[in-house]
Amino acid sequence: MTESEQLLDALDARVERRNHRRDFFKTAIGAAAAGVTAFSLTSKAGAQSTITDADILNFALNLEYLEAQFYAFAANGTGLASSQLTGTGTQGAVTGGKQVTFTDPVVASYAREIAADEAAHVAFLRTALGSSAVAQPAINISGDANGAFTAAARAAGVVGANGTFDPYASDENFLLGAYIFEDVGVTAYKGASPLVSNKTFLQAAAGILAVEAYHAAIVRGTLYAKGIQTPALITAAGQISDARDSLDGSSDLDQGIAAQTINGQTVSNIVPLDTNGIAYSRSPAQVLNIVYLNRASVTLGGFFPAGVNGTLRASAAN
Amino acid sequence: MSEERFILDVIEEASAKRRADRRRFMRMAAGAGAVGGLAMLGACNGDDEVIVVPTPTPTATATGSVTDADVLNFALQLEYLEAQFYSYAAFGTGLNASLQTGIGTQGSVATGSSGQPRQVAFQDPIVAQYAREIAYDEIAHVTFLRNALGSAAVAQPAINLSGDANGAFTAAARAAGVVTSTGTFDPYASDENFLLAAYIFEDVGVTAYMGGVTLLSNKTFVEAAAGIHAAEAYHAGLVRSVIYRKGLTNGTLITAANQISDARDSLDGSTDLDQGITVTASGVTSANIVPADSNAIAFARTPGQVLNVVYLNKAAVTGGGFFPSGLNGNVRTSAASG
Repeated sequence: MTESEQLLDALDARVERRNHRRDFFKTAIGAAAAGVTAFSLTSKAGAQSTITDADILNFALNLEYLEAQFYAFAANGTGLASSQLTGTGTQGAVTGGKQVTFTDPVVASYAREIAADEAAHVAFLRTALGSSAVAQPAINISGDANGAFTAAARAAGVVGANGTFDPYASDENFLLGAYIFEDVGVTAYKGASPLVSNKTFLQAAAGILAVEAYHAAIVRGTLYAKGIQTPALITAAGQISDARDSLDGSSDLDQGIAAQTINGQTVSNIVPLDTNGIAYSRSPAQVLNIVYLNRASVTLGGFFPAGVNGTLRASAAN
Repeated sequence: MSEERFILDVIEEASAKRRADRRRFMRMAAGAGAVGGLAMLGACNGDDEVIVVPTPTPTATATGSVTDADVLNFALQLEYLEAQFYSYAAFGTGLNASLQTGIGTQGSVATGSSGQPRQVAFQDPIVAQYAREIAYDEIAHVTFLRNALGSAAVAQPAINLSGDANGAFTAAARAAGVVTSTGTFDPYASDENFLLAAYIFEDVGVTAYMGGVTLLSNKTFVEAAAGIHAAEAYHAGLVRSVIYRKGLTNGTLITAANQISDARDSLDGSTDLDQGITVTASGVTSANIVPADSNAIAFARTPGQVLNVVYLNKAAVTGGGFFPSGLNGNVRTSAASG
C-alpha cells in the first residue's frame, strides 16, 4: 500500500469517525488533514518565538491558582495559604468559595485528591519560577447570582437567564463546576507544549498535562456514570462543552460526554479527542476566552475579574 | 542558580518527600518477583514494609542518539499492543491487516487453545461502552502514527495477549501476586479481569509518552505526542476510577491493582515511578486515582524502562512478555534495571 493510499484510508477513517462519533464538526477535518501533511514536512512557524518559557509557566500558574482555590474551598473549606499567593503583578483576593457537603464519599475523596494535586501544581510552578512568579490575581469563584459560575451556567443554558448556579450546593453541581475547568486545563497545557523551549520545563508541563487529563477523566467519568440515573447531568455537561466551544472561535475544540452509537453499539465519550485520537489544543488567548467568559479580545472578566497577571493576558478576538 | 538546576533540585527534594508522605514505598526483591514469576509480591504487601534493594539507576537513552522516527515507531508498537488488546476485548476482532505492515519482522497476535484473545462478555454495560471507546481511540493512534511515519513505519511485531497459562497476562499476574505461581489470569473472562488488564497497560502508556516527549525535536511531533499522552491519561484515569469505585464493594480489585503497580515498579529500576489506586496516610485509606510525584507531576519512563515492563524483565533484553520477539525498529532493548 502506498503512502497516499494509507492517507486516503486514514481520511476515510476520519470521515467515518466524524459521522459516528461527533454531532458536528466544523473546520476540524481540514485541520486534521493539514496536520498530517505538516507532520512529514515541517514544524510550525514560530510566530510565538517572542514568548518566553517564564511567560508560559506564569500563564499556567494563573490557571492553577484558579483551579487550586476552587478545589481547596470545595474539598476543605479553606483556600490556599497566603504564602502561596505573592509575586509580581497585582495580587488579588478570592471572591466566594465554600466547602461542599458531599453525599457520595467517593466524590469527596476525589475532591480532596484533586485539591492536593492543584495546590502542588501552584507550589511547583511558583518554585520553578522563583522571583519571577506572578501573584494570584483577583479570582471569582462565587456561587451566588453575581458569580462567574452563574454567568457561565447562564451562558451555557444550564440554568435560566435569571437562574443561579452554585457549584458548592451538591455533589452534582461540584462535578459540573469542576467540568468547566478540567478539559480547559488539558487543552491549555497541550497548546503550550510546542511553545516551551527548555526540555526540563517541557517534561514538567507534560507531566502536569497528564495529571489534568487524569482529573478530567475522573470528573467526566463520574458525571457520565451518575448521568445514567440523572440524564440532566449529561445534558448540562454537553451544554457547558458547547458554551466553551462557542467562546474559543470557530474550531471545534470541545466535546460533551453524551454517548454515541457506532455500528449499532453504544460508545461512551469520556475522552474528548479529534479523529486521530489526539486531545485538542487551545492557545493561551483561547483559554482566556473561556476563563474570561468572553469571545472578544479583552483583558479581564469571568473568573478573573481583574485579568490574569503576566504578559499573556489578552483573550483572542473570536 | 540556573533555572534547570533549580527545578531539578525541587524535583529531587520533592520526590523524596513524596516517597515518605504519599505512598507506601515498597522496593521489592524484584529479581525474584517479576522475572521468575515465582516470588509473591503480595507476601510483602504490608503498609510501610520497605525492602530496599540497591540497584543501579537505569541508563537513560541518550537524547541525541534517537531520531523522531525512532521515538514515534517505539510509540507505534505500544499502540499496536493496546489497540489489539482493546479491539479483541471490545469487538472480538483484531486490527485490520492493512494496519500491521511495515519495516521489520511482522508478527501476529498469539492465540491459544483456551483464554485466547476474544470479546469480553461484559456484565456492566458501561464498562462495555468504555472498552469500545478506548478501542477506537487506540486504533486511531495506530492509524495516526502510521500515517505520520509513512514508509518509515515499523510493522506490528509478534504480540502475546493470551489469557491462558502461557500467556503474558498470566506471567504478569503471577509476578504481581494477583494469581498464585501456578494460577492463570484471563483478561477476557470478566469485567473485573478486563479492567485489571487495561490497568497493566494504561499508566505505562502515560509514562512512556511523558518520557518520549522530550526526546522529540520537531515541535509538531511534540504537540501530537502531548495530545496522545493526554488521551492515555484520560484512559488511565477512567480505568483507575472505575476499578476504585468497583473496589469499594470488591476489595480484591484494589489489592490487585496495587499489586500490579508494585510489580511494574519493581521492573523498571530503583526509581519510584508507579502508584496504586489507594493511599494510606495516618491510618486512613483514600483514593489515589492520579499517579504523580509530590509536585503532582506524572511520572516518566525512558523507553528502556517501558520495555522492562512490557517485556516483563528488569534486565537488558530484546524480547519477552507481551512482545515475545521484541520490538521492531531501533529502540528495542530494555534497560538494565536490576
